[in-house]
Amino acid sequence: MKNIKPFWRGILFLVVFGAVGYGLGLGLDFLMVKSLRFSGPVPSVFALLFAFTAFFLGVFGFRGITRGLVWQVLGTLVGGLLVAGIRAIMGLPAFGDFFFTEPSWVFGALTGAISFLFGVGVLDDWMKWTRGIDTPDEHEEHYHGWEKYFAVSLDHKVIGVQYTVTALLLISIGGLFALIFRSELAESQLQFLTTNLNLFSQNGPQLYNSLMSLHGMIMIVSILLGTAGFINYVVPLLLGAQDMAFPRLNAFSYWVSVPAAVLLLMSLFLGGFDTGWTGYPPLSARAPVGMQMFFLGVFVAGWSSILGSLNVLVTVVRMRAKGMTAWRLPILVWAAVATGLIALTATQLIGLSFQLVMFQRLFGMGFFDPAKGGNPVLFQHLFWFYSHPAVYVFVLPGLGVISELLPVFVRKPLFGYKWIAMSSLGIALVGFVVWAHHMFTSGMNEYLRIPFMYSTLLVAIPTGVKFFSWVATMWKGKISTPTPMLFVLGGIVVFLMGGLSGPPNAIVSTDLQLHDTYFIVGHFHDTIFGGFVFPFFAAIYYWFPKATGRRMNETLGKIHFWLMTPAFFVMTFGMMYVGLLGMRRRIVDYDPALHLDATHFVVTIAAFLIALSVLIFFFNFFNSIKNGEKAEGNVWNSRSPEWQVPSPMPVHNYEKPLEVVGEPYGYGSGDDGYIKFVEPAVNAHK
Amino acid sequence: MEHTQNKSSAFSQGVVIFVYLAVLTALEFAIAVAFDAVPLLVVVAIAKAALVAYYYMHIYKLNQEDADLDHHSYSYKTNTNRFGLWLFLLSDTFVFAGLMVMRLNLLGLSRPGQLNQYLGLGVTAVLLVSSFFMNRGEIAMSFGDTKKFMNNTLITFILGLGFLIGVVFVEWRLAAAEGLTAGFGSPATGPTGAVFYMMTGMHAFHVLTGLIFLGIVWNNARKGVYTAEKHWGVEASTVYWHFVDLVWIFFYPALYLIGTAVK
Ligand code: HEM
Ligand SMILES: [Cu+2]
Repeated sequence: MKNIKPFWRGILFLVVFGAVGYGLGLGLDFLMVKSLRFSGPVPSVFALLFAFTAFFLGVFGFRGITRGLVWQVLGTLVGGLLVAGIRAIMGLPAFGDFFFTEPSWVFGALTGAISFLFGVGVLDDWMKWTRGIDTPDEHEEHYHGWEKYFAVSLDHKVIGVQYTVTALLLISIGGLFALIFRSELAESQLQFLTTNLNLFSQNGPQLYNSLMSLHGMIMIVSILLGTAGFINYVVPLLLGAQDMAFPRLNAFSYWVSVPAAVLLLMSLFLGGFDTGWTGYPPLSARAPVGMQMFFLGVFVAGWSSILGSLNVLVTVVRMRAKGMTAWRLPILVWAAVATGLIALTATQLIGLSFQLVMFQRLFGMGFFDPAKGGNPVLFQHLFWFYSHPAVYVFVLPGLGVISELLPVFVRKPLFGYKWIAMSSLGIALVGFVVWAHHMFTSGMNEYLRIPFMYSTLLVAIPTGVKFFSWVATMWKGKISTPTPMLFVLGGIVVFLMGGLSGPPNAIVSTDLQLHDTYFIVGHFHDTIFGGFVFPFFAAIYYWFPKATGRRMNETLGKIHFWLMTPAFFVMTFGMMYVGLLGMRRRIVDYDPALHLDATHFVVTIAAFLIALSVLIFFFNFFNSIKNGEKAEGNVWNSRSPEWQVPSPMPVHNYEKPLEVVGEPYGYGSGDDGYIKFVEPAVNAHK
Repeated sequence: MEHTQNKSSAFSQGVVIFVYLAVLTALEFAIAVAFDAVPLLVVVAIAKAALVAYYYMHIYKLNQEDADLDHHSYSYKTNTNRFGLWLFLLSDTFVFAGLMVMRLNLLGLSRPGQLNQYLGLGVTAVLLVSSFFMNRGEIAMSFGDTKKFMNNTLITFILGLGFLIGVVFVEWRLAAAEGLTAGFGSPATGPTGAVFYMMTGMHAFHVLTGLIFLGIVWNNARKGVYTAEKHWGVEASTVYWHFVDLVWIFFYPALYLIGTAVK
């Protein structure tokens, strides 16, 4: 075994233990229902948990993430059994259709997630603090090379990479789900997700619903993690800080997202759910147990987002280098602040709304149950109070990346710096008062429609400011187009399409037609790709050399871009087109008489092309870590501090403290640059 | 130095604020019983909250200049920690605000008539007194008086535990006996029970975490971890405890005082 590479050992373990888990689940299920359900939920969920854990066992051994996952599995079982025992004592059925009953699963999932945190070791230092033992500030690394990414590290750069890679992993899972259900939509009538199918206790259309709903939420979580990834990696570097303000909290924020992802995946196997990512009651109040796993997964992931953004805000306020006044902050930092303000506060509301549905299901509390005097529309208000601002959480960091990179590649100052900085805050603040534009057809009070329509249209102003500034920045610039710049330009155009398709949804009279059609699906894919996916790729191509000392292959990068972009336009315009012709969203089938088959087919092909381009990206990413062309200097000729030191970035960032002496984007101004390093005073600490 | 006042004036300020708060609480109760004037109650609650936030939670310290600009010094880090803690409280406020919105949406200007207003006043008073002792404890610690800190914290802890028991084991039982149920498969009593148990439950959960926090800090003080200059743990648990009190300043009238009682 010794000379098998860790990765292949992981795969081997995955297969073997997956089979063991499957067999165990099958046996347990047999004990419960006295029949062998080969495609039932119980064997599947056991196979998932075992295989997932065993993969990391094979790669990394029993430490770090593996220990966390093992503890999560055990914690889930112990918690579930505990509730089962209590139920047995109370004379209630101890076990249910999915092995455990719903209360058992919920409690077990919670104890499992907490156990993960103890197992992975991210709580160790805090536990010491509670006993009055201090832990050193200067953290030493226990692991080296690739190994440090599999265990708790307090280094913001390691955490940034952990976030990014986790996000990429989730993007591939969510993308895979999309390809499955998109294939079903390629033609009218049911082809393979038929009513005869029976997988994880779901028939074809039910499986469609589960995959579609999970696609949405997994992608959202991956966006949260992806933005956290580059923010974590880059923001402290831009500020000239050694690390985030609270390194342990930073590690915690990352590591809670791992059990959250496991919970989200578990929901697919535990009966799934059919509400879409929005989880509206009354449907969500009676969907299978999977619904609860989904709620819990989002709840836990929400804490990652809340605490992560708290950390970013404190870091920006407290850890800036000398001379970095508000108007000399890099624009990405402004974007991170605006994002942080939203995520810190509004996220609590999606957590609360989901928690209330969970309690409604568990305890019969009728918050949203009209039969008990509850109000389902209340849920939508609470939910959208987060989930509209959340769309700015998705895009503001990406728009920040666009503004950050554009001046580098046009060799000109950013046009209207202050306006751009303020527009991020403006979008964030106005974003808090527009949520009910998602509810024009919900039956809420009609007089609310008008103010929410106008407030929504108001968002167009700060967003427009960004576009004007980008165009003016490019005007007469010396534009060069290496891969990161291609993605920046692509992002701008795609986001424009998304922005333009927004106002028709915001205007009540048109939205009454458009609501819940595929037009909406086209709209938000444009905004999210333009505001997140393209800039995210740009950021990866751009900062990859900083993290690894090598650059990604340009040719493959260009193929990635030129394959993805046209395919993407075809896909979303196709979506909008079928939507306008009456195609509803979130539905497994459509009437052949609508004559939408051809367009749907093209949309599906386009989706597969996007997936192919992302595969090329993945190959390029992992291959370049080892084989990429060496790039240890200022590859892009940037003024930003992180590029003034060699790559890969040293462990404690800057050897000497830095001081801001110029404008961040003064390209072509012939000044002395943005920052300079100062010789530390003799009596400084350490 | 952290404190500009001398020791006795710091303690007496705590007493004065406590008297204000007690008077306002009594006034609030009287208003509710006599006039049923919601705007007035809102004003009183805001006034109480402002007093707690300023004098007990020292919100003004957020604005404090850094005594030492070295990012690794204890004082710089304490200011950083303080900012982080307040951001956390801001975030948490949104949970409670969401619950308040839920309450207003589902119950409007009626309140659960099954609740005993005197019991509500009682537990509120207990929590208020606990805040008073918490404040004394913190002042003692900021003058390096560990012994006094421990005593006051112990009293705070006992009162806090009393509040928790009062709500969860006394009030919940009495309310349930009066027919205020959360659901549990029993016939629906409207959303009133669900709202009541959710709001008090979420608050009680915070009280519980606050108690754990106090226990940890008390134990560390016993070990001599804190000094007059370095006691961020004490400050954090104090501020958190007052925050829990501050939430109750709004939840208490929302559940016990405003509007008309409906069974
Ligand atoms: C910042 C970039 C944007 C993002 C990320 C975004 C994202 C989204 C998402 C995810 C949805 C669908 C929610 C659902 O599942 O129902 C949506 C719907 C909507 N968007 Fe956007 N959007 C953006 C910009 C805009 C703009 C600029 C406007 C208007 C000026 C707008 C107006 C709307 C409206 C009114 C809906 C509701 C449509 C309906 O359901 O009937 N959006 N958007
Ligand atoms: Cu919206």
